[in-house]
Amino acid sequence: MTADRTSSRPPRASLVRRRLGWTATAVVALLLATLLSLAVGSRQIAPSAVLDALLHGGSSDAADIVRSLRLPRTVIGLMVGAALAMAGTVMQGVTRNPIADPGILGVSQGASVGVVLAIAFAGVHTLGGYVWFAFAGAGLASVAVYAIASSGRGGATPVKLALSGAAINALLVSVTTGVLTTKAAALDEFRFWQIGSLAGRDTEIVGQIWPFLLVGTVLVIAVARGLDALALGEDVAKGLGQNVAVVRVVAALGATILTGVGVAAAGPLAFVGLAVPHIARAIVGTDHRWVLPMAALIGPVMLLVSDVVGRILFPPSEVPAGVMTALIGVPFLVTLVRRKTVAA
Amino acid sequence: MTATDSRTGRPGGRAGVRPAGYGLIRVKGRGRGGPGGRSGHDLRDRRGGSFLLHRRSALVALGLALATVAVCVAYLCVGESFIAPADAVKAVLHTQWGLGQATPNDLVVGTLRLPRMTLGLMVGAAFGIAGALIQTVARNPLASPDIIGVSQGASAVTVGAMTYGVTSFAVLPYLSVAGGLAAAALVYVFAWRGGLQATRFVLIGIGFAVALRSITHLFLTKGDYLVAQQAKVWMTGSLNGRGWAEAGPLGWALLVLLPGVLWAARAQRTVSLDDDTATALGVRLGRVRLGLVSLGVVLASTATGAAGPVDFVALLAPQIARRMTRTAQIPLLCSALAGAFIVVTADLLARKLFAPTELPVGVLTAAVGAPYLIHLLLSSGGRGRKGGTAA
Repeated sequence: MTADRTSSRPPRASLVRRRLGWTATAVVALLLATLLSLAVGSRQIAPSAVLDALLHGGSSDAADIVRSLRLPRTVIGLMVGAALAMAGTVMQGVTRNPIADPGILGVSQGASVGVVLAIAFAGVHTLGGYVWFAFAGAGLASVAVYAIASSGRGGATPVKLALSGAAINALLVSVTTGVLTTKAAALDEFRFWQIGSLAGRDTEIVGQIWPFLLVGTVLVIAVARGLDALALGEDVAKGLGQNVAVVRVVAALGATILTGVGVAAAGPLAFVGLAVPHIARAIVGTDHRWVLPMAALIGPVMLLVSDVVGRILFPPSEVPAGVMTALIGVPFLVTLVRRKTVAA
Repeated sequence: MTATDSRTGRPGGRAGVRPAGYGLIRVKGRGRGGPGGRSGHDLRDRRGGSFLLHRRSALVALGLALATVAVCVAYLCVGESFIAPADAVKAVLHTQWGLGQATPNDLVVGTLRLPRMTLGLMVGAAFGIAGALIQTVARNPLASPDIIGVSQGASAVTVGAMTYGVTSFAVLPYLSVAGGLAAAALVYVFAWRGGLQATRFVLIGIGFAVALRSITHLFLTKGDYLVAQQAKVWMTGSLNGRGWAEAGPLGWALLVLLPGVLWAARAQRTVSLDDDTATALGVRLGRVRLGLVSLGVVLASTATGAAGPVDFVALLAPQIARRMTRTAQIPLLCSALAGAFIVVTADLLARKLFAPTELPVGVLTAAVGAPYLIHLLLSSGGRGRKGGTAA
């Protein structure tokens, strides 16, 4: 790169070019991941046949599989991946904490409890119905975790956030288990959903989650500048004319909606929200107006690739995407924590 | 020796030590429940023999033991049918030692409730000691085996074995211990960076715990519905339907580990000193710490193998014990008693609360333990010992 060494950051034109280049790369990666997700499985389908099935229909077995099984799964993967990645980005921005992630902070578990309660007690079995419970659960959990972590000396340090997340997680898991033990019928419906998987989701879900995804995305994009200011510290952000409280509330609301909808659609998928924002920041810098879209591109890539790898690892059975993302995410967390700056 | 207590940073932390380990008078005057600031034991304790007569600790141990006995009697009496205490004791005497007459309660008390209660006692004690050891070494009440991935490692291996057809209860505990040790070793290795820092250790442990939990869930989806149901209950820590088949091997395992625990009770004191002092005294700090942690991990994994991960007992019991005895270090005997008391009480409630459905005991311990963890985070007590080194 031809960065000007006398200035602390590269010239603007170079930065923009670099960002556009990476965006193009990410779009290509996303297309590839989508194609992979449509083509790879217990039955391999040639990319040309996939395109054919999508564009011209047809009634062959392959076309049927692509349209009825793999297409909904892929579309949900795209949406959930983007939602969780943006949620993680915003959480890391609001808490100014590199290890924030909906899974680690217990927000996903909050959404899960909402769904369990909806299934077991409210008799709600459709996603359109229990997504609201997921929102409520995610919202309550995120408020609780943040309140616990930020109280007392030192504010919300990584350790305190992670620990209050762990505490809330444990509490919520015990609630879930208590409910599932007393309501055995709910367990079978729940155990596949709980792990985080894209398998067996039908097309209807896509129609049900997109409005929420849209609202969440609009909210977080709206506070992108505010998050940039917040990154400089609360006082600086105020000095720059940002209403810190509004930024925090709107961002938290957006992250909660994105997490809730992601969890309601695919179960708690750990670590997508942790790893992706770091990758995004590494390639486009810290500007949230770039990081958020980039995360929305990379998140689905990570999720779809995890899903595809899970499909081909132990045929004929599948490893759910939630397990794969967790396995990919742990090395990430380890690296982050081992960096000196994090372990405060 | 420095003028400030290395652990609390408060000046004069070692002041007022009475010779021969009777720090009792000073102890009373200090604030309750704080993490340090007391100097119950000093070096001279080591000369005083293995069993330090700390009057308050002895009283607390006695009180905990009495409370545990009371709960045990209640445990034997209460259930689907109520059995009068005298009859319950008679049934125990008859079924276990052949004393007295056969009673109609022999089956319920002797075969169903007693073995389960015994298992609960042992599991609780094992978790209590395990938590005490690990917390002592980490100098952090948050580093309990169920937070840093030990229980999750034990669970993952055990549930995996269950779903792949291993049903023999003779094998499962070994697998569980192996899983717990492997998880602890992984966390240890990855958290090591020219030294071991408590915060890094805890964070990496939490990460591994999450990943291992999701692997456990993977195994759950592999098995058929019945295995999943069984494993799910096991995973939360349940004493339901358990008896001598689990209690026997656990008892032998604890017996084998007993010399280790006795060693630990003495070694623990040197570790709670600050590093410089201990090293100057010729203590091989690294080895002692590793030994204590390993023992703690083995105990926690063994208990997990017998009853599943009964969450938060290892976190709660040592803290309760330490607060009651008001000693600077975590008392092992009282931790064990507190753990046993917690588990038996929780299981008693788990059986009765939603009768006829039985909750896994782990649900109740988590329901109590998680708020306590939150309290630890909120109170300064949870943060005062943060900076210490782990293992």
